[in-house]
Amino acid sequence: MIRSKAMAIAIKDIREVFSSVSIYGPMIGVPLFFAVALPVLTIYVALHAAPGIASRIASTAIPSTSASNINSLSFMYFFAINVLGPIFLTIPIFTASVIAADSFAGEKERKTSENLLAAPITNRQLLSGKILASLISTILLTFAVFGIYGGTVNLLAFKEFGVYILPTATWLMMLAAAPLLALAAIAIVVFVSAHVKGIKEAQQISTLLVLPILLIPFISILGIANLDVAFFEYVIAILVVVDALIFYASVKDFKKERILY
Amino acid sequence: MKYAISLFDVNKNFGKQRAVYKVNLRIGKGITLILGPNGAGKSTLLRCMAGLYKPDSGRLDVLGSDPYESADIRNRISFMPDNYGLYDFLSVRDNMLFFARLYGIEDKEAIAKSLKILKMLDAAHYINAKVGQLSRGTKQKILLCKALINDPEVILLDEPTAFLDASSSEQVRRFLYGMADEGKCVVFVTQRVDEATRFNSRICVIKNGSIIRDTDTKGLYDEIFKGTRISIRLARPISKNAVLALGKNMSLEHGGIIKADVKNYKDVNAILKTLMDNGAYIASVDYAEPMIEKLYGGND
Repeated sequence: MIRSKAMAIAIKDIREVFSSVSIYGPMIGVPLFFAVALPVLTIYVALHAAPGIASRIASTAIPSTSASNINSLSFMYFFAINVLGPIFLTIPIFTASVIAADSFAGEKERKTSENLLAAPITNRQLLSGKILASLISTILLTFAVFGIYGGTVNLLAFKEFGVYILPTATWLMMLAAAPLLALAAIAIVVFVSAHVKGIKEAQQISTLLVLPILLIPFISILGIANLDVAFFEYVIAILVVVDALIFYASVKDFKKERILY
Repeated sequence: MKYAISLFDVNKNFGKQRAVYKVNLRIGKGITLILGPNGAGKSTLLRCMAGLYKPDSGRLDVLGSDPYESADIRNRISFMPDNYGLYDFLSVRDNMLFFARLYGIEDKEAIAKSLKILKMLDAAHYINAKVGQLSRGTKQKILLCKALINDPEVILLDEPTAFLDASSSEQVRRFLYGMADEGKCVVFVTQRVDEATRFNSRICVIKNGSIIRDTDTKGLYDEIFKGTRISIRLARPISKNAVLALGKNMSLEHGGIIKADVKNYKDVNAILKTLMDNGAYIASVDYAEPMIEKLYGGND
């Protein structure tokens, strides 16, 4: 017996997402592929082209090593955290927006919202259920992908340089920012899907959130900011405020009629 | 409580389009039909009663509370939409469990109740089937089962027999009579006059968002048969001359259908008797078409 109505909605929505391979296939398959492929490409570049590049980009502290190919390791270290990390931070945004858009706009599109809204559930239970569905799936997938990408990086780094690169404090801070990014994407979808007609519009608008994330590697490469713990403390603090504001606006704006037709 | 549903000057618009206009209605126990053509506002009115839409103005109470604002009162109401709206990817069982959980019903009780209702609707064998694989008529039965799972006091149904065959429709009607006999309030929306007149019940006719007639089956017949034209289908055709010989108020149309003018419903019996006395075998009498014409074709 599931006692919480919000949890019943969340479980139904998660089952709905995972009932269609066209939704969950690309959502899981692509990040998993990149979680392995990008570290492999990185080590390849690190070994063959990095010594020249590393001296220009790596002022970052690296673990002590007796390896002679110090520039390759510097590159691998820098790239694995400062470039791959932000790239993988787009996963919670994409995943959350796909699931949340399907969850809200999908009810409208499949005309299942009437039975749902006629049930004795409050707006808060409905919103909580829908948000939980997106958040649980997104966090699980993001952590799994970060785990695989971290594992692959470590495996390759240990094989080539005899050291483990991950986790670092910065990398863990990135991971901590992931649920907040997911929440921001979900809140935007909640807000947008109440105003647009279809799933696609809601999804497209919320994925615009990836743009600032994709700027992070360039900020780091160009030396505008150091991607250290302090940087991600600011990012997390900003995300908490942004999440709170968007959520407040979405919940205040939410009218159940809007997801009817 | 004398009335389960009360509407006071209820208005509902969608942008500039008027959907429900100044509706005043009190609905008590038993079956009430809301009859109207497409776009008359009957489904919008039902959705307001179900708490899906908030009226723009006026007051609407169901069992003493506003169904839009009060989730608790929706525990005692059920709604069956016209677009069946169940989850295709779930089995019938999982759909029932999902909705039962929203109504706070234990899983075991939900399954037992579902099986009992589905058995009565001759659909219990579909319990483990995916809803998406079922026919439209079967989905309609599953939806009715969903609508009854919370043992509601007020049952709101939007065209519940629209996709059912004759025998299943009759099953549903019997079911609804049973509900009415138990003292429940059943509101049934339809655009089909023949369906509305199958219930010996109150009928509210809606047009352009307003209730234009509040009557019952007998009242509808009394009013509609005042100077109208009915169609009589014969089992075996008779000649045009034979029809003309029967009186000025009858004519033979294409396909062997006799059109007859009647002043009131008593005339129907008289005309049929005349036809039978002259060797005609009656297959059916169709009053629906002229009734629709009279009900919806103006006169409001």
